[in-house]
Amino acid sequence: MVLNCEHVWKEISNYLEGALDPAAKAALEEHLAGCRHCTAIVDGTRNVLRLYADDLAFDLPMGFDRRLHGRLDDEIEGRRGTAFGWVVSLAMGGLAFASLLMADVRDAGRPVARSEHSQPAQRAPEGTVAVAIQGKTFHVPGCTFLHGKSKLESSVEAIREGYSPCVRCMHELLKSAGGNAPRNHGEQLAKEEMLERGE
Amino acid sequence: MAADGHPEQEKEQEQQREQELIERIKRGEKELFHDLIRPHERRVYLTALAILRNEADAEDAAQDAILKAFKHLSQFRQESRFSTWLLRVTINEARMHQRKEHRDIMKPLGEEETEEGSYTPQDFTDWREIPSEALERKEVRELLARALASLAQKYREVFMLRDVHQVSIEQAAEIIGISPGAVKTRLLRARLMLRDLLAPGLTGAVQSGSQVPKGSKPWS
Repeated sequence: MVLNCEHVWKEISNYLEGALDPAAKAALEEHLAGCRHCTAIVDGTRNVLRLYADDLAFDLPMGFDRRLHGRLDDEIEGRRGTAFGWVVSLAMGGLAFASLLMADVRDAGRPVARSEHSQPAQRAPEGTVAVAIQGKTFHVPGCTFLHGKSKLESSVEAIREGYSPCVRCMHELLKSAGGNAPRNHGEQLAKEEMLERGE
Repeated sequence: MAADGHPEQEKEQEQQREQELIERIKRGEKELFHDLIRPHERRVYLTALAILRNEADAEDAAQDAILKAFKHLSQFRQESRFSTWLLRVTINEARMHQRKEHRDIMKPLGEEETEEGSYTPQDFTDWREIPSEALERKEVRELLARALASLAQKYREVFMLRDVHQVSIEQAAEIIGISPGAVKTRLLRARLMLRDLLAPGLTGAVQSGSQVPKGSKPWS
């Protein structure tokens, strides 16, 4: 088989990779023996492959490894952080849900109100009354009859401490809740307190 | 038992170790990804560099590709080798960076050529063997990098995979998403073009430290 230069150029890759069958390889080498140009091309191509395959041919940028693994660390930590965040969020959500359940259970144990005045909507707002420190009454926060320094506490505590409800604001509160103001708010609240204690 | 020195056996053991690492990472030992990626990071960077031809862009793309591989490791089904999958992720990532940056301004050699036409060598300089020690010289390494960068992307990709990373023709075809025949055709052209580009300049650079004469090559 006689090869011309173009045949050789087409087969250079196969020749260099050892992928030619023996007959084709012998024919190509026969051509090379008499062709300076093709020999130069084959030798040069072999040189190219050897140089590029050398580990020295390409450098990694300085600090490449450090920057890459730093970023990877951030990603791994970030993922762990996110997972931790989820755990915390779930725990918080669970706690909140448990609190709601507990409150519900507590409410369920509460004695049934026996009069319209003891309906929850008509009760003095626990935890939101403002007690006049220098006075003897407690008020709905923001009541215009509240003067001087005040503190916030539950109506039950206010009663226990000897404070009486402000007739004006408590009356307004009960009216807005759709009920009738009892004649004596202090007495009503005290009754509620007793009910709460189960007495 | 320690490896008995057979390359094939060592390769198999290495793949088995890699496989175990992947399984442990998937089960939650995320830190092991550092160990998994270390043997591959040079290949990832150079593959990105072959496409983007800019060190900073290549580093960004390489990092993004590796992070993507970390995030999507669960999708790696071991139907192919991890290195094949990783290089495919890298090529896609580098191509995405390329589209984003619109940086492919330099018209590379062979960009408009069809693969069907045969390539005719243009330089018949008799090239004496260049010793590997020549690579210790920065200008020689730069010549190689610039010659490769001057080729069209389709040639840079196959040449980097096959002749720099030494992956098989079939693996290169799988990574790029073309047929093995197309890989061979592109590879032949890439090799002949690089020889043409480097023959006179590299010999000169190795002998005298001079650069390629200005204007004689596409990158001048």
